[in-house]
Amino acid sequence: MRLDRQRGAQGTRLITLVPLVDAMLILLIFFMVTSTFLDLDMMPLTEAETPADSIETVTAEGAAAGSSGTVLLRLTADGLVVLRGERLSPPELLGPLRSAIGARTDVPVVVLPSRQAQVQALVTVMATATAAGAGAVRVLRVETAP
Amino acid sequence: MKLRRAPSDPTGESILPMIDVVFFLLVFFMIIGRMDATAPFEVDPPITDVGADLPGGGITLAISADGAVALDGQEVSPGIMLDSLAERIAADPAVRIRINADARAPLGRVLPLVGWLEDTGAEDVVLVVSPGRS
Repeated sequence: MRLDRQRGAQGTRLITLVPLVDAMLILLIFFMVTSTFLDLDMMPLTEAETPADSIETVTAEGAAAGSSGTVLLRLTADGLVVLRGERLSPPELLGPLRSAIGARTDVPVVVLPSRQAQVQALVTVMATATAAGAGAVRVLRVETAP
Repeated sequence: MKLRRAPSDPTGESILPMIDVVFFLLVFFMIIGRMDATAPFEVDPPITDVGADLPGGGITLAISADGAVALDGQEVSPGIMLDSLAERIAADPAVRIRINADARAPLGRVLPLVGWLEDTGAEDVVLVVSPGRS
């Protein structure tokens, strides 16, 4: 019985590399299957380092001390936006909001959201306010009196 | 005429280039893939086009649609979460806190938390969003 063995020119036994390739391929497929590529962005929520056109949370007292040209948006629990007494859906908000802001570039827009409203509704309103030319978008956080 | 057969390659098929390709792909996926703490529950971030690039690192707070919270990938009770956050903010007020809230989560679960983080001294709190699909 003659057994074939892999031997080099000098007769030394060589390392078999095929199992290493299998291990590498398994690891590669593992990483390809288990990892998910997330395309994520961020919206700053704090006031410390945010530029003028980002989002901040302020108390009701802080908003009242703002400029007289402030535009107030009220976000209801069902996702509608109230602008100057008119209930609008988010897609309908852009035009009236642009009219309310006008040609000014420093008009702050304050959003008063319902606690039952969803995060997506608030983000949509803030994005619409930014698109309408708001100088700054602030979210009102109503605090209970001590 | 006696033709001599070319000596066979004692190492078999040359697979070293294949190993190079496999290693390259492996390192490629390891480097470009960002390992982030994912939440133990499903979280679909809100969609918007006005977000800024989100760097990695920092503390990740996940909030599900029904109000469950997870801190760095582990679901915790609100009390434990607040204590842990207070410690980490006290150690480094500039640490980035990423709030990964589900788009359907009620604002009553998110905004008070943001206010508490600000009052505790956090300087960098961001909301994770997903860019709009074009």
